[in-house]
Formats: sequence, structure tokens, C-alpha cells
Amino acid sequence: MKLNPAIVGFIKKELTQALRDPRLATLIFLVPVIQLTIFGLAISSEVKNISLTVVSRPGDYLARRIEERAVASGWFSAVRIDSPAAQDYATLLREKRTEAVVAVAPEGLRRALERGNAKIQLLIDAANASRARQVEAYVKNVIARALADNSQAPPLPPVKLDLRVLYNPSLESAIFLVPGIMAMILCIITVIVTSMAIARERETGTFETLISAPVSTGEILAGKTVPYILLGLAEIPIIIAAAVTLFGVPLRGSLFQLAGAGFVFVSTTVMVGVLISTFAQNQQQAMMGGFIFLFPALLLSGVMFPVENIPAGWRLLAYLNPLMYFAKLLRNIMLKGGDWGVFWTNIGALCAIGAAIAAVSAARFKTRLN
Amino acid sequence: MQTAAAGIKLESVTKTLGKTRALDAVSLDFKGGLLHGIIGPNGAGKTTLLRILAGLLHPDSGAVRFSRGGAQIPFGDIRPEIAYFPQEPSLYPDLSCAEHLEFFRDLYQLPRAEFAQKSEALLHLARLEKFRNRRAGQLSGGMYKKLGLICVLLHAPEILLLDEPTIGVDPVSRRELWDLMHDFSAGRMTIIMSTSYMDEAERCARVQLLENGKLLAGGEPGALLEKLGAASFEKVFLREGK
Repeated sequence: MKLNPAIVGFIKKELTQALRDPRLATLIFLVPVIQLTIFGLAISSEVKNISLTVVSRPGDYLARRIEERAVASGWFSAVRIDSPAAQDYATLLREKRTEAVVAVAPEGLRRALERGNAKIQLLIDAANASRARQVEAYVKNVIARALADNSQAPPLPPVKLDLRVLYNPSLESAIFLVPGIMAMILCIITVIVTSMAIARERETGTFETLISAPVSTGEILAGKTVPYILLGLAEIPIIIAAAVTLFGVPLRGSLFQLAGAGFVFVSTTVMVGVLISTFAQNQQQAMMGGFIFLFPALLLSGVMFPVENIPAGWRLLAYLNPLMYFAKLLRNIMLKGGDWGVFWTNIGALCAIGAAIAAVSAARFKTRLN
Repeated sequence: MQTAAAGIKLESVTKTLGKTRALDAVSLDFKGGLLHGIIGPNGAGKTTLLRILAGLLHPDSGAVRFSRGGAQIPFGDIRPEIAYFPQEPSLYPDLSCAEHLEFFRDLYQLPRAEFAQKSEALLHLARLEKFRNRRAGQLSGGMYKKLGLICVLLHAPEILLLDEPTIGVDPVSRRELWDLMHDFSAGRMTIIMSTSYMDEAERCARVQLLENGKLLAGGEPGALLEKLGAASFEKVFLREGK
């Protein structure tokens, strides 16, 4: 097959420009690794460093046991026992000196238990509701364990659960999050870089030169997309290597699946970039258009919040989101070894969405001035 | 005898851009093989006219006809023979002179051997040989325009459309650009260039005076001035403005 010299020349020129521009080269090759590191470390669904105050009478050893349990769990950081004299614990919460307060009966927890009327008050700063919910669960757990230690004959639970966590045995959120973040970064970079590259031609007069040359719309479109698909593909091994070395995310699936999913996804996002550029007259507009697409795409992708939690109407948007399918594919390939059923279902959906986006972009990509 | 380069005929071409009527029933005849100047102040419709000739814009009404030796040629056939050099910066600041020429070689699908010989000749003619590895963004205004011009001249077009090629160029470089164009016209090429420098009109074989989208007059520069009874084209526009 003889390659079209106009397209080859175009690809060469586009890659020369992209790699020569230090900002663009940084954006393509360095920023993803930095972002992956930052997001992977910062975005964590585990709640840690909870400052807890236990309010009890001095010498209440059950209250002390709760404190010891809390420290041993590793979830709580600053644990203090205050005397009941420090009555106003609401102030402690309001002044952010503590995040949760456990207040036991003033006469002592032991005595209250004997009387069969033991009440423990739990106050939690719920400014961040989802964190507060987890803090509540942790504190309850700690108290339950502390009291169980104390009772001489613990009642045997009727059922014993044999719990085995598959694919991510230590339940580290990074292992779950990193593949999603990789998909997200790849999406951001390819959409922004492609739409900016086309908008730049429009902004300067170079687009006029191109369209007055005897090259077809298809050739210009190929010349402006193929280089960015190649750059996007070149980025995949870099972020995979970063994910594996920095976060210990396993790569259990086949490279064939990875390459296939990567190619379809990158082609789709590059076409999204083309679509955005058809609405933009200059690079600023392309950038803004990119964000209009990217924010909903990131939020409705299941990368940070489960798709199942999205209200039904909005969930429809998630099912149209290429990022959702690629994040699923990456998790399936990296963590679960690439189940073929999951692969074909998601890659099929991704292909269909990609083809639809490509058709609309190509139809809108005009090689005439308005 | 070799047939002269293609000529272009405009028949009552009208184009409205937004709310402005950029061209208003313009009919004129660009004879093949000559250097034509479109003269007019800013906003006269010069760029719109050139964009229509290049096929970048479609006229709202009227027709543009290309012909060679009396025979009409459809636009699709003549298109590869048209080169257009826009007024706005049309080169890539981060590519060198040599890389630009290579890119245009690929766009116009020129054979390598022909390219090697032609690009050297053009670089020499434009006196840009020493700057072949310099990036377009670092060229002076005059060198930049010369590079743009040799890029579109590379495939030896039959029709060359230049939109204010001499704007913002110092007098010496302007002279060089003019020499370059004269060397390339001489019957082999139809050059249509726009300018708002009235003194450049006298260097053209034919001039067309355009104002507010309307054609005022056209013809050989000397004869036209005589007919209009003005000492210079500036005077014509000053008088019209009143």
C-alpha cells in the first residue's frame, strides 16, 4: 500500500511541532506522570487522622480502653481524655480542635454498664458528611471492640464470616483508583492537545494555507488526528510504568487487550478534540470547550464516584461517556487479568460511541471559511 | 506558441459577510499571464475577493469562471494550479525554512528530484539560503514574507493569489518581493495581488480599484489615471471619499 505523501508530510510536520514545543512536550510526557502521582496519593477514599476526644471521669478504665483501641486501629491521630470538667465539648468541635467526641456517663462507664443503663454520647463534625459517616462507623467499631474485650464471656456470633477480598486484597484505594486516574489523564491530554492544535491553525492564518492547497478535507483531518493518536498511544506505556512502579498496581491482563482498548479510546478522545475545535475560533475557546466536556466526563465516569450512585437520569450520560468504558477496561485488564466477556462488552460500547463521535466530528470539520 | 496562463472572469459576484456587503455585484476580467493589482483602502473587499478566487469562500450570487486559451476549465481542475498566500501570518513559527518547503512539497505532492532543484533555486532567488535552518518565528518581516512566497511558488502555480504581500515590509524587502514576483510572472503565471499601498499600483500590468465592495474602475495604471483625470490613485480614493 502506498501511503499518501500529503498525509505523511502532515504527520511529520505535526509531530515535529508537537515535540519541538517544550510546553507541549512537557504536557504530553511529564505532566501525566506528575498528575498520576499527585492524584494517586491525594485521592483516597480511606479516612485517616481522625482527632478524637474521649470525655470521661479520671480513672475510668473502660474509657481508657476505648482510647487504647482507637490508637491501635491506626485511624485516629490525636486522642485525648479530658476530665468531665471540660463540659463544653461542642466548643471543641466548633473550634476544630477535635473531629469527634465520645462522652461516657459521668459516674463511669463500668458502673453505668452494671446498672444496665450505659449511654455513650458521640458527637461528630459533619461538615464533610461522607467523612463523618465513616468516622461514625470507625468509632462504633472501636467502642464495640473495647467493650467486647471487657466482657468475660463474649456471646459467640451465630455465623462466622470467612471474608476474602479478591483482586485488591489489602483494599488499598490506590489500586482501585489509579487505573481510573490513568484513563482520566489520557482523556484530558488527548482532548486538550488535539483541539488546541487545530484551533492554533485556525487562529493563525495557517489554516487558510492548508485549505487552499489541493488536499482533501479527509487528508487534513487525517493529518491532524493521526499524530495525536500516535502521541496518545506513546503515552500509555509511560503512565502504565508509573502506575506499576509508583503504586504497585498489578498488570495482570494481556497487552493485546491493553493496546486494543488504548487505541480505540485514544482515537475516540482525539475525535472529541476535533469536535470541540469545530466550535472554537481560537485556542482559548478550544481550552474552554475542552473543560466543558471534561468536567462532566470526569465526574460521570465512575473514576471517583461509583456510577451506580448517579441518579438514573444522569446515569444515562455516564453510559455515553467513553471514559467510563475505558476506566472499566483498564481495571479489568490491570487488576482482574482481563476477562474476555468484560473486554468485548466494553470495547464494543466504546467502538460504537467512538464511531458516532467521529462521524459527527468529520461532518462538522469544514475546510471552508464561513 | 505556449498557451498563456489561465485567466479569470467574475460575473456580478456578490458576497455578504455578516451584515456587511463585502462584494457588491463585482464583474471583472483578469487576463491570463499578467500581474494584476487590486487596489483599495482597508475594508474595500480585497481579501474577500481573493478568498473567493481561491475557493475558500463561495459567492452568494454571480459566477467565477476560469479559462485557458478560450476554453473554460472547471474549478476542480484548476484548483491544484492555484496558490494562495494569505495576509495573516500563514507559516508555522516553530518550523524552519527548509521544513516549510518540505511540508509544501508533501502537500502539493511534488517529486523529490524536482523539489530538490526548485527549492534551492527559490532559496537562492529569495536570498534565504543562509537561513534555511532558521525557524519562521525568528525571521524578520521581509524574510518571513519571502519564505511564504517561495513556499507557494514551489509547485509553480498557474494562478498566484497574494493578499497584501508587502504589508509591514521595509522598502528594500518590498523591492525584493516585487522583483521575485516579476521574475515569476512574465506570461507563465497569472498573479493577482491586493495592496493598500497606492504607489505599488504602477508596478502592475492591470489594476482594479475597489472600494466598499464596489469596483470603481480598472485598466492599465497609466491609462486609468489619465481617464480618471487624477495624478495618483490616492487622489482617486480621496476624491471618492468626499
